[in-house]
Amino acid sequence: MRRTVAIAISLLLGASTAWLVPASAQAPPPWKQGQPPELANSPLAPVPQPPAPKAPGEIPVDSIKLPPGFKASLWAHGINNARAMTWGDKGTLFVSSRVAGNVYAVLDKGNAREVKTIAKGLNLPNGVAFKNGTLYIAEIHRITKMEGIEDKLDNPPAMTVVYDTLPKDAPHGWKYLAFGPDGKLYFNIGAPCNVCIPPDTHANISRVNADGTGFEYWAFGVRNSVGFDWHPVTKELYFSTHARDWMGEDTPSDRFDHAPKKGLHFGFPYCHQGDIPDPEFGKDRACAEFAPPLIKTGPHVAGNGVMFYTGSMFPPEYKNRAFLAQRGSWNRTQKSGYKVMMVTLRPGDVPKYEVFAEGFLSGDQPWGRPVYTSQMKDGSLLIADDYAGAIYRVTYQK
Amino acid sequence: MLRPLAVLVAVLATSTAALAADVEAGRRKAEPCAACHGPDGHATVPGTPSLAGQPAFFTHWQLIKYRDGRRKDAQMSPFAANLSDVDMADLAAFYAAQAPRARASTVDPAKVETGRPLADRYHCTSCHTPALIGQQQVPLLAGQDLQYLLRLLHGFRNGTASDLDGTMTMAAKPLTADEVEALAHYLASLTPR
Repeated sequence: MRRTVAIAISLLLGASTAWLVPASAQAPPPWKQGQPPELANSPLAPVPQPPAPKAPGEIPVDSIKLPPGFKASLWAHGINNARAMTWGDKGTLFVSSRVAGNVYAVLDKGNAREVKTIAKGLNLPNGVAFKNGTLYIAEIHRITKMEGIEDKLDNPPAMTVVYDTLPKDAPHGWKYLAFGPDGKLYFNIGAPCNVCIPPDTHANISRVNADGTGFEYWAFGVRNSVGFDWHPVTKELYFSTHARDWMGEDTPSDRFDHAPKKGLHFGFPYCHQGDIPDPEFGKDRACAEFAPPLIKTGPHVAGNGVMFYTGSMFPPEYKNRAFLAQRGSWNRTQKSGYKVMMVTLRPGDVPKYEVFAEGFLSGDQPWGRPVYTSQMKDGSLLIADDYAGAIYRVTYQK
Repeated sequence: MLRPLAVLVAVLATSTAALAADVEAGRRKAEPCAACHGPDGHATVPGTPSLAGQPAFFTHWQLIKYRDGRRKDAQMSPFAANLSDVDMADLAAFYAAQAPRARASTVDPAKVETGRPLADRYHCTSCHTPALIGQQQVPLLAGQDLQYLLRLLHGFRNGTASDLDGTMTMAAKPLTADEVEALAHYLASLTPR
């Protein structure tokens, strides 16, 4: 009845009837895009980011489960939306955030950590990398740098632009940033959607020289990789990828990938997990055209940080293993991920993929979300938790 | 009776998830806010939003954005500059615990009817909920002040309004100026329930 009245009124007023076209004509918000009609009333939605970090008393660090001999402690707290980590030459830990818009400097004061906010109000500044006294920061639309930052933490220098010829799309526009063994800055330009034929400029891993020259694409068909690292011995690139949503509770799997050379295509949006054609975009393409995943890491696990371990604190078998921090699912009834996994590469054999840290769920609700890892000088491991706004330190003793 | 209980439960759930926020402390801290936002967050000044019934995450995030300079307002920015995280959590919890009421905006019935189907067509209801009462970090729109809705929605459409993660800017971009008008009138005409 109401609808009829509305139509009648708008017709009487000579108003545009363009809204009579089906709802699908307008793009839904990115998280809902690709949702099949039969799931239109699904209660599944992204886990909201709390606006403030948790107080130490609200962080049950003892419930983090680790292999025998390992122990986790609360290393730093009060770091709103703490994400990627990189070390300065003088021992400062720089920490990024996403929606909080901040970059932090964390100073190790023995028994306690001091946290300084060195930049705020930025555009999803998820990427931080450090080289020769300079901090590089990746926002959605630009990469900037702060020179000599470690001597000026209380009065940070201006951010100067390194590279800003980048798309401005918000969905999957936040970047991981790291220096490769070639001294170039690598970062992702994610697909601006859940699933779509992306513009040629999107769904890739790219690189640029540290002075902003020489931009080039490195890997194609990558929906969104916000974590990668290079193998300590082979110097080859390995990365995590989030797969599309709304294709099922158990499909497709997220990926752990290997890009030893420039120009490989990893399948998005045509083929998921190496062997499932996309129902909409996969019809005219074959999965065999694309690089398959090295590991199917599991549905909706949301693998973020990838880091090869090179320290000597952990047992010898940990050397050159990759840690994969999984921030955890939202597009699944039963939570998956919310773990730090480890990957052992074995030449000529399939990689070994096993749990390192878990216990971030309390019942069916997360109290924390492990998002990136970093290695301390002594070989202990830091795990950033953007949900609790904290960093945990994992140590090992025989 | 059901409604206050539901609100209370929602507030308790939200506060344990974020910070141990204190509604009563929030009530005291909100006294200076009442000059513009009205008693218990029921504003009457056109152009100033009502805060009663706004989800705690939403109010808290907006205060953080004002403090960080991502959202700017001549009145609000100085207020937010000196708030601590605890102050923000308390204020957000207090306003979330107040029952929302529709503002006395004068709406154009024709625009209301034009706007009604747009809320679904442009997927406002996907995040703001079918009743447009908001959730988590997403604000309550039903019955909000018309002038405020118009300012924000035009701002998002023009890419000048501060956005937490870019979702609203994307959502508002395809709207025509007339559709912004119609949507705002429709939202302002609703009773939050």
